[in-house]
Amino acid sequence: MNEEKTSASGKVVGVLLFVLGFAGALVLGYLVFPNLLYSQKLQPLNFSHAAHRDNDCDSCHKFRPDGTYAGIPKISNCKECHESAQGNTEAERILVEEYVAKDREVPWMVYARQPDNVFFSHAPHKGKGVECVTCHRDVTKEEKLPPMREDRITGYSMTTMEMTECEKCHSAKGVSNNCEVCHK
Amino acid sequence: MQFAAGAVGGTLLTPLPWKLADDSAVWSQNWSWRPSPERGEITKVPSVCTLCAGGCGIQARLVNGNRAILIEGNPANPVNEGSVCALAASALQFLYAPYRVTQPLKQTKKRGDKTGFQAISWEQAQTELSKKLEEIRGEGPHTVACITSSRRSSMDDLWAQFFNAYGSPNLFKMPSECDASKSAAQLTTGNSSTFAFDLENAGYVLSFGANLLDGCAAPSRASGALRRWKKDRYPVKIVQVESRASITASKADVFLPINPGTEAALAMGIAHLMVNGANYDAYFVKNNVFGFEDWTDSNGKKHQGFKSLVSSSAYTPEQVAKITGLEPAKVRELAKEFASQPKALAVWGTGRADVSNNTYHELVFVALNALKGNLKPGGLIGLAPKAPLSELSAQKDILSENSSQQPRLDLAKSQNCPCPQNGLYGFLDAVSSGPKYPIKLLMVHEANPAHCLPENKLFAAAAEKVPTLVSFSSFMDETALQSDYILPDHMALERFDDVIGIPGAPYGYYAVSAPIIKPLLDTKHTGEVLMKVASTLGGTVASSIPWKSYEDFLKFRVEGIAKAKAGAVIDKPIEISSIKAGDPVTSNYSDAADLFKKLKAGLCWHDAPSAVTFDKTTSGKLELACQSIGKNAQSSDDVIYLPHFAPLKPSGSESEWPLLLVSYSSPRVSCGYLANTPFMNKLIPDSMLAGDELFIDLNPQTAASLGIAQGDQVKIKTTQGEAGAKANITPAARPGVLYIPRGMGHKAYDEYIGNKGVNACQLMEVQLDPVSGMGTVWATRAQLRRV
Repeated sequence: MNEEKTSASGKVVGVLLFVLGFAGALVLGYLVFPNLLYSQKLQPLNFSHAAHRDNDCDSCHKFRPDGTYAGIPKISNCKECHESAQGNTEAERILVEEYVAKDREVPWMVYARQPDNVFFSHAPHKGKGVECVTCHRDVTKEEKLPPMREDRITGYSMTTMEMTECEKCHSAKGVSNNCEVCHK
Repeated sequence: MQFAAGAVGGTLLTPLPWKLADDSAVWSQNWSWRPSPERGEITKVPSVCTLCAGGCGIQARLVNGNRAILIEGNPANPVNEGSVCALAASALQFLYAPYRVTQPLKQTKKRGDKTGFQAISWEQAQTELSKKLEEIRGEGPHTVACITSSRRSSMDDLWAQFFNAYGSPNLFKMPSECDASKSAAQLTTGNSSTFAFDLENAGYVLSFGANLLDGCAAPSRASGALRRWKKDRYPVKIVQVESRASITASKADVFLPINPGTEAALAMGIAHLMVNGANYDAYFVKNNVFGFEDWTDSNGKKHQGFKSLVSSSAYTPEQVAKITGLEPAKVRELAKEFASQPKALAVWGTGRADVSNNTYHELVFVALNALKGNLKPGGLIGLAPKAPLSELSAQKDILSENSSQQPRLDLAKSQNCPCPQNGLYGFLDAVSSGPKYPIKLLMVHEANPAHCLPENKLFAAAAEKVPTLVSFSSFMDETALQSDYILPDHMALERFDDVIGIPGAPYGYYAVSAPIIKPLLDTKHTGEVLMKVASTLGGTVASSIPWKSYEDFLKFRVEGIAKAKAGAVIDKPIEISSIKAGDPVTSNYSDAADLFKKLKAGLCWHDAPSAVTFDKTTSGKLELACQSIGKNAQSSDDVIYLPHFAPLKPSGSESEWPLLLVSYSSPRVSCGYLANTPFMNKLIPDSMLAGDELFIDLNPQTAASLGIAQGDQVKIKTTQGEAGAKANITPAARPGVLYIPRGMGHKAYDEYIGNKGVNACQLMEVQLDPVSGMGTVWATRAQLRRV
């Protein structure tokens, strides 16, 4: 009889342990692991997209005459307005003193950089009418740059678009998903 | 246990294991040694390649203006029309090479000990060089010597200016195939130039060993000509005559394999049949050629003419067939074809761009073309025109005046040569074997004689006798390794340079090679080092070299073209080969500054071809009887004046050394100052190099007689040295002859470049040409055995 009781409570304990392990693993996997895997790095200075919203994306994130995408503007673009400080913020001070005055490029960290083995060109996507916000965060009201969350193992940003996302969109639009479309 | 099972089950439902597995794969893409191209704006910068003498237009693709990622041909350049060779295509591997010399070095231990090099500042390097030059100058400036490249650039003229002002005659160039052409042009036309061939407009090409498609002096131009020959509705027939089935032979319509070194005998045989059949341009020969008929010299002495010599029994088809190994009927057929084709051109070469030819054989090919009338105005052969660059004239002081009385060291050996040229071999021989005066300082610029000079042991022996050896190499090559000082030049893509004419091209050509990128390392333009040293030496040396930068010097040179209002810049597509001698070329630049600006932007300057003039010879005609040979002649035989088949006998007896070793150039192997790039090494077929083992080509017949099978390890022994290799049995080789590619077997550099195969230069024999005193290379007696 005692053996039976022990066996029943043992089973309960076993189930509890199993659930505990299971739940712990879920917590670890979903909550702890991402925070361990991704670092949080702050950009060299804050940039308020909202403060620059009089411009559309293209006016700063330009295409070069040859159709290639210039990405983040160079310090020469910043200089056009920020040759001298435009306010009293810390970011303004850093920009003018550390970069504009010294004619150094700001080492911005890119949230969406694709790996070297991916050939990605903005031009055809833009040409087909894909909006910037389809792939990138909407920055129109963003006053503070989010921290860069970098994968400690791979060095890539957490928000780097993954292949499945590319494939889904290509499938939906009837574009080829052959390997060599992106992996030249 | 249950906890672990739950944890495992739970973990499998989270992204953790899958993300880690994925990340570990991606992580491998980011290993530090994995190349990752810089991202940024891509720009293209045009320039002109100076890695060889070919003068091709190139453009570099750069990221953010500071990282070069590609060299490609510039389609706007009329010479290469967008194509480039493997060397230029892989030029960036020189720029970013790990074996570059990163800063000035001074040897503190024994020569050749890599660990003995101590880094010094440029200030110290230049001060020490200036101090040595100053000390030596007081004792006798003629004891300073320099070996520089055989490229045609203003750098050569700057060296000459420095040596003239400093007061030393001992400035030498590395050997070139053009040396013999220069010698022949001097003897026959009295002009100090080289012959130029209108390949593009020829209707039939008879090539006596010219390696048009195997990396000749201007490879891109030659392949452009081939494209035209094959594109026409009636393709141009190409007949290739040489002993080995080269790439050129494989592209020719007819390949005639002959015994090595007997091309001139075949040319004499063809001339024999043309003269005896009266099937030559008698009008041109009668009015413009001296020495065709028997002739009388200024002392009234009668001499035999070329006609009498060539029509003698020595050059009958049967005799020629015996020498060359062809059938007599084939000689007759070839002569008939060559004589009857209206635009037939005979071209010739040694098959190796960086060795000189036998002058008498050069004269034979000139004579054959003269019989064809190719040297008349508008003919297929002219003289390479010179761009009217500002001339340099050195100011001399008492020291340089006094030392100019001293003879150049090579002349001690070649004093019996009737037409002495710049004899590097005579110089090396003299330095190593008790010269008339010692050499105290030897500078080596854009040259690697310790490796790529045939019979390179001559350089080693000479270098031993020189107390101070200075290299200006950008790379840790064999010569730099043996030097006491290395004052590294910028790599070609980092510096200003220029190209003065295309070897063998009839049109005038000049281009400025502007840097595509800022220097990456602590290097300095050798021209600017010379300027600095000259300024430290002061006096007339400084006033002879007044420029502050090499760009300023090139601006000065270009002023000469602008002053002459000569030629034009090519700013729109033109067919450069369609311009005939005497055609007007209207200048399209406003002044020297405008011209330089356009040249710096990668455009090239051109001018119309110039016809051959004979007014500088004694007779005022094309001299087939070269009267100037008679000046120092040691023989009274009339044949010494005339083109004739005169093979230089390799040393060693045929019984002891039954085989002949012939070296050849391959477009896949750089055999000059520059070593092969890793990319070029990838292009080498397994039948030439497998791993680190070089293959020697031999005919199946030769292999059978020696009991050698394909891929066998063999030992080759020549009268000059011995080496281990592997056997490649191929019908491309002539029976009894062994073939070895040039340019392999580097001992310096790094693991990707060094210790690959055998250096042919250590096996080859050099013989001094009796007319010019320059070293010639054709064959070396050899033995081969299986090991």
